[in-house]
Amino acid sequence: MKRQISAPRGLWFIAVPGIALVVMPVLAVVWRTNYANFWTSISSESSRVALLLSLRTSIMATVLALIFGTPLAWLLANRQFRGRLFLRALCVLPMVLPPVVGGVALLFAFGRRSPIGGALDDWFGIQLAFTQTAAVLAQFFVAAPFFIVVMEAAFEQVDQRIVGTARTFGAGPWRTFLTVTLALVRPSLIAGVALTWARALGEFGATIAFAGNTPGKTQTVPLAVYSQLESGGDDALALSVLMIIVSLAVLIGLRSSWISVLKRGGA
Amino acid sequence: MSIKIDCLLERNNFKLDVQLEVEPRSVLAITGENGSGKTSTLDMISGLLACTEGKILLNDKVFDDATTGEFLQPEFRGVSTVFQGGSLFNHLSVTRNITFGRGIALKDTSRFHEVVAQFNLESLLSHKPSTLSGGQRQRVALARAFLAPSEVLLLDEPTTSLDVNSREGILKTMQNFFKTYDGVVILVSHDGAEIAELATQVAKIEVSRGKTTEAKLRA
Repeated sequence: MKRQISAPRGLWFIAVPGIALVVMPVLAVVWRTNYANFWTSISSESSRVALLLSLRTSIMATVLALIFGTPLAWLLANRQFRGRLFLRALCVLPMVLPPVVGGVALLFAFGRRSPIGGALDDWFGIQLAFTQTAAVLAQFFVAAPFFIVVMEAAFEQVDQRIVGTARTFGAGPWRTFLTVTLALVRPSLIAGVALTWARALGEFGATIAFAGNTPGKTQTVPLAVYSQLESGGDDALALSVLMIIVSLAVLIGLRSSWISVLKRGGA
Repeated sequence: MSIKIDCLLERNNFKLDVQLEVEPRSVLAITGENGSGKTSTLDMISGLLACTEGKILLNDKVFDDATTGEFLQPEFRGVSTVFQGGSLFNHLSVTRNITFGRGIALKDTSRFHEVVAQFNLESLLSHKPSTLSGGQRQRVALARAFLAPSEVLLLDEPTTSLDVNSREGILKTMQNFFKTYDGVVILVSHDGAEIAELATQVAKIEVSRGKTTEAKLRA
């Protein structure tokens, strides 16, 4: 007998099937992968190209989220303005929207036949849709909300007295933001960046709709997995295992900080 | 260099009416029950809160004027603060906390060494505040406020978190500092002994609780 207050009976009985539903597919992939060819699979020309492309685009999407998301999150957390709740809902919308819908929306906003996309093409010869930039934008669209939600919660938790103290001792608003506020939210910032990057790395629906699935150009790892699965290769499983390892590494590496961030934020 | 406050702060069901004038070289102690607006009064002076009505002046320098819309940002007011709990920057060393806002160059001045010695902080300069005891943290906060050039010094229960032994020493240090300080000191305190040792005048916030809580401070 454990010497502690008793839990409702049978919780484990109900929880375990739920865990199994999540764990079994992951185990199945790990189980079925041909490890003799694992290294050959992930270092094959097509896999390597997809991996490098994924790495590059997901890092760029994360940097964009960091640059644009940080000020936005600060404003949402610290300023009362008209339409704040609506703006927050808009920022979070991509989290609940099917990513493929996001991709279609991006296509209609920046595709060649849209006013913006058309103007970019006519005036500057810039085409966004079905390019690497489109892959970055698609990942940004889907992943940035994770960063904004985490950072808004973090900025809300900042002790305003410490920020105020910095101001009374002569630091202006920017200096206070850069040297005090950012230091106070650093754990959340790291967790937010990691979550956003992991989400960007795994992005599929918005990318395939807005950037397409061109090997070597817009075919990121999730798209490569999908394509290679259709052609029945081992490479799909090997890449899947790699994605699982990377995602787990991110979550385990940050387990304490991101769990506390999500708890605090109630997000 | 007197500070003149005539202002009203209205928030939800709370109304704080402050009228006070404090001359330089005097130490005003503000007392009053919890939630009566002592800290809010300090916040209006330091610029962390704006008055709803009225104005705050330091000589002819306008800190805040609800009629004209003038509002001087905290970093330009020349007001040093010691808030409850110290409000230290936990990611910075004690030295950087004490010299915050005026650059690390300050650490080579004789004034810096004097203040550090007064507060017995020599051995703690490279420490992070999170490794210090409550009393040590409060000494750092006081050192920072005493070292910063200021015309007004705001202290929110500066010795509350200290144990009896360190309290005596710090009260003495504060007393000595006030003797040489040309500005205005406003001290929020619950503690009769602290007030008796430090303050030159005392004002109590009178509270009447009805549908809205109305608090009044006159000095």
